[in-house]
Amino acid sequence: MRSGSETVAKAFGLVALAAFVVAFPSLASDPFVLSVGVVIVSYAVLATAWNFVGGFTGYISLGHAAYSGLGGYATGLLILRAEVNPWLALLLGGLVVAALAVPVGIAALRVRGASFVIVSIALVLVLLLVFQSWESVTGGSDGLRVPRPFGPEVLRPEQHQRFFYLHAVLLAVMLLCWWAIDRSRFGMGLKGIREDEDKARSLGVPTVRYKLAAFVISAFFTALGGGLYALWFGFLDPIFQFSILVGSNMVLMSLLGGVRSLFGPLVGAVVVGYATEFFKAQYGDTQMHLVAMGVLLAVVVLFLPDGVIPAVRGLVARLRPEQASIREVTQEELAEEVRR
Amino acid sequence: MSLVFQSLVLGVLMGGLYALLAAGLTLYFGVMRVVMIAHSAFLVLAAYLAWAFTVQTGLDPMLSLVVTVPLFFVLGVAVQRLLVARLRPATLTMMSVLLTFAVALAVEGTLGFVFTGTHRRIPLSYSGARLELFGASVALVKLIAFGLAVVTLVGLHVLLKVTRFGQALRATMQHREAARLLGVDTDRIAGFGFGLGLATAAVGGTALALDSTIYPSLHWHWIGPLMAIIVVGGLGSVAGAAIAALLLGVGQNLLQIPLGTTWAQTFFYAALFVTLILRPQGFFGGRLAQRF
Repeated sequence: MRSGSETVAKAFGLVALAAFVVAFPSLASDPFVLSVGVVIVSYAVLATAWNFVGGFTGYISLGHAAYSGLGGYATGLLILRAEVNPWLALLLGGLVVAALAVPVGIAALRVRGASFVIVSIALVLVLLLVFQSWESVTGGSDGLRVPRPFGPEVLRPEQHQRFFYLHAVLLAVMLLCWWAIDRSRFGMGLKGIREDEDKARSLGVPTVRYKLAAFVISAFFTALGGGLYALWFGFLDPIFQFSILVGSNMVLMSLLGGVRSLFGPLVGAVVVGYATEFFKAQYGDTQMHLVAMGVLLAVVVLFLPDGVIPAVRGLVARLRPEQASIREVTQEELAEEVRR
Repeated sequence: MSLVFQSLVLGVLMGGLYALLAAGLTLYFGVMRVVMIAHSAFLVLAAYLAWAFTVQTGLDPMLSLVVTVPLFFVLGVAVQRLLVARLRPATLTMMSVLLTFAVALAVEGTLGFVFTGTHRRIPLSYSGARLELFGASVALVKLIAFGLAVVTLVGLHVLLKVTRFGQALRATMQHREAARLLGVDTDRIAGFGFGLGLATAAVGGTALALDSTIYPSLHWHWIGPLMAIIVVGGLGSVAGAAIAALLLGVGQNLLQIPLGTTWAQTFFYAALFVTLILRPQGFFGGRLAQRF
């Protein structure tokens, strides 16, 4: 049976992935490699969070940096100004951003297609303006120093290791949520919206509520990702937090991996994150990054709009021995059924 | 009082430039239902070309238009033919935004690589000159920029209303299939529509270079307001975009008096969000906007 062997393969892959994640910090040769690992899981967290709205509903948001940035700032400000416990601040920050996402979502989701993308970009630009100008609260262009959640006795490599696991746990929780939604009635409705919103609506899917729910879930997880990153990195600069590039990175990673697959954003994050860090280490920070990112995004949009995972799967299916029938049950099984 | 009047005049002058650029965005949207994020990146590219032209030759930057306008027309046709036309129709609107966004990143990166991130400004003999206009003091370069915008807009209007090509272009914008049935080569016209749109970016960029400092990431400061203008005006309506451009330009300049330049910028985004809440199809849009 094909489906049986596939399940085994999938389970084996999952175990292998989990084992690699657990073992990575001890495999990493030095703290720098470990820190690159943290950056890549952080990318994976953000891309997977993005995919809750991008993958399910097909609404492509270029402005998810708004939620990661807000999550980071909310966490930092709660710790600094209200002296909340860092982990509680992280959670509260996520909830605050989710609450903020409700009115934004109501406004943004009224329009489809290009207008939605415009709104998402505008949100990032306006937040950049606000966080740069409102110096008394946000620290303005000088940035905001976020205190580390672990005491001074925890050294650098140890910090990286702990944050690597924290990010990995968050990622695992998100993947589980995505998987659960994917199989639920709610997920079915969302995918209906992606394929044809009007038809989905005429079939009784409460499109407005469903879209908003997916949007808020996505904003919540993105904010948690941003907050966790802020706790690890320890410094927030509005230019880098509310950057269109951060948002477009999430889109690029998800599209590259495949927005319809559970692990698509993760695969994309590993590829893009590794490539980015590699080029940074080799050639330093030049403007060619932008060009490379632009070209890669254009190539993905033009030639791989469904992502790598479906493309590879298609290739594997072609290499397999040809199946006799497109039906899932064979002729004999059908005949058996009829006889009974 | 005079301060308010001064801001009003400056707002109208600014609005003229916004209107020209928004006209380009409307053309792309009209012929292909595409929102061209890279528009303002090309605007900055044109500004850099004007700057390089003046620095190299010592001639007036406006002479660079002789080269940049045809060049940008060809570039526009190329972008439509080689990139946008290749996307699947089903996902065209979303994917075209990403594609033109990718083009914008590539243009910005190339500008930063070639010209470095240093802020540039064209040295002009008349950059300090000011004119008295009904009691308001206005920099000469702002007037020239406004003049360029108005001349181009009028030219565009004549081209669209009088010539046979303009008729075909408008027909394509109104109803692509019907236009094709009547014998219009809509694919070619769509390419030319993109070319015309990008040519407005060439003019706008030169006008921009006259009176402001330019740097590679400047286009992000333009794309937001321009997007706000086309949404407020109603996607696909040239006249609507022009009215919205003037209103928002004036509003921004008036708000600068009590709020300062940075906070006045948020006016565009506030207008964008209010429009989406009250009238998602825009305030001045025609039939085209409804379909979106």
